[in-house]
Amino acid sequence: MLSIDGLSVSLNGRQLINNVTFTVPKGRITSIIGESGSGKSMTVSAILGLLPVHAQTSGAISLNDKNLVEMSPKDKVELRKMHFFTVFQDAANSFSPSTKMKHQLFIFTGHKQGHSKMEFYQKMRVILQDLDLTDDIMERYPFELSGGMLQRCMLACALYTEPTLLIADEPTSALDMLIQKDFIDLLKKLNDEKGTTILLITHDLDIAASVAHAVVVMKKGEVVETGQVSDVFDKPQHPYTKLLLENHF
Amino acid sequence: MIAKWIGKRVIMGTIVLIVVSFLSFFILHAAPGDPAAAYYGGNLQTLTTAEKERIAQAFGLDKPVLAQYAIWLREAITGNLGYSAKEGRAVSTILLEKLPNTLQLVGITLMILAIISTWFGLLAGMKEGSLLDRGLSIFSIASSAVPSFWLGILLMMIFSVQLGWFPSSGMSDVRGGGGIADRLHHIFLPVAVLVLSHVGIFARFLQDCVKSESKSYYVQVARANGVAEQEIRKNILRNAFIPYVNYVGVTIPSFFGGSIVVESLFGWSGLGQLLVKSVMVKDFPLLMGGVLIIGVVVVVSLFIIDVLMVVINPKLRRGVLRC
Ligand SMILES: Nc1ncnc2c1ncn2[C@@H]1O[C@H](COP(=O)(O)OP(=O)(O)OP(=O)(O)O)[C@@H](O)[C@H]1O
Ligand SMILES: [Mg+2]
Repeated sequence: MLSIDGLSVSLNGRQLINNVTFTVPKGRITSIIGESGSGKSMTVSAILGLLPVHAQTSGAISLNDKNLVEMSPKDKVELRKMHFFTVFQDAANSFSPSTKMKHQLFIFTGHKQGHSKMEFYQKMRVILQDLDLTDDIMERYPFELSGGMLQRCMLACALYTEPTLLIADEPTSALDMLIQKDFIDLLKKLNDEKGTTILLITHDLDIAASVAHAVVVMKKGEVVETGQVSDVFDKPQHPYTKLLLENHF
Repeated sequence: MIAKWIGKRVIMGTIVLIVVSFLSFFILHAAPGDPAAAYYGGNLQTLTTAEKERIAQAFGLDKPVLAQYAIWLREAITGNLGYSAKEGRAVSTILLEKLPNTLQLVGITLMILAIISTWFGLLAGMKEGSLLDRGLSIFSIASSAVPSFWLGILLMMIFSVQLGWFPSSGMSDVRGGGGIADRLHHIFLPVAVLVLSHVGIFARFLQDCVKSESKSYYVQVARANGVAEQEIRKNILRNAFIPYVNYVGVTIPSFFGGSIVVESLFGWSGLGQLLVKSVMVKDFPLLMGGVLIIGVVVVVSLFIIDVLMVVINPKLRRGVLRC
């Protein structure tokens, strides 16, 4: 479905991503793992078409056979609006501080799809309940909700818009341990029940091992190993992957 | 809840007024010169020491400064600010006559300033790197480097002396008839000076707020998810206004300082001009009254800004409604 082929990105003469190739198959959870600074988020920016303007890009990123690298800026906006949904690390700062949640949830969902406020409330209410969030969060401001609740609100938006690809860039790194697992379980459930394709970026090997079907291991801007989770975790090929696993378990 | 919030501010305001009046009282007393001089009239040279002492005694000027302050404060609370020997009228009467003129000057200035600086600040902030963006940055530095009395003299030279478009002094014209049009004609230059010397910094501040807000995390998240630009912009503006209003509030006291210069320069018969005059003639009660009433006006305007802050900032709003 999404395939990245020989992607390289350089910025101010520094090669940040080097010849990255991997695919994200439909209906699966693919996880990118790798240490801090290995270019995971940069890869996400490239997929979203949000690299800095002066970045130099080569290679191809294709979503259902359309090359995103060559798309016009307008088409890229459309793609982010209708086909992708991205959850970021810092849930507490992902919403504007002085606007009620109902308005913010609306502009992330119903507003994009041309729904009326009524349609939005009806649909969103059910989704929020599924995520153990009560109705009254609609009347709240972000600072009145916990990080875990806000991250679930983000997920609620993803559930609402039913994106072709859900990208989650370290969605649980800012949450405390107990809630981390809950959130990952929700992602798994979303994938199981709705067949949502998910690209999960994490540096937590436990998380990757527990929910992903396939993993992509990145190091210093390069992909060093890809494969099914069971293969990579049981029989790592690349010395870097071995090192990662040894240090972990 | 709200009562507690208001109560806290009233108490704070009262404390500020007492401290300000206390300090002014002592500074004025420490200044060289005889505080009773105003009462001697033209007889300063001919009065004997004994006579001077009798006058001082009659006005309580022989008592320790602290005791004098206590008397002044006690009377001030009851609304009696004393009597101006120079003007031959009660201080409170004079102040009430001048206060509206200053409020008019500062009020109109603030209104125009808010409109122009908001407009330019938003436009410049949203178009980073544009001509307007860079132009405003330069203008703001330039305008804050020009002293307002110098700007006042410059405008006076050009628009009243050279072109004769606006009067250089006073609040009304005998021929103008004293109507609203006449008032506006006279207030134009003083307001222009106050606006010009603040508008750059104000707009610049908002511009910076908008710029830094545009870079915040939630904006990137919204953009990454294809949220409509106009909705993103609404949020940027709403959040940028919070520090901006706060900043405007903090600078309000300096307006009354600025109005002292401008009022004296343009012969605008307000509190600023009054203060300058009463310093010259050492009119002690009038000076204290003037300081007090400017203090009251500043405290009240800060209170209004506080209320405004609560209205636009939900974090404060929730706090006030809960406490
Ligand atoms: N805007 C930028 N300009 C220049 N260099 C950047 C920029 N953003 C990231 N980088 C560099 O690109 C490299 C990859 O960064 P990236 O954020 O993709 O890492 P990451 O794998 O997501 O790390 P983390 O786990 O810490 O999020 C880093 O060396 C970083 O310094
Ligand atoms: Mg990252």
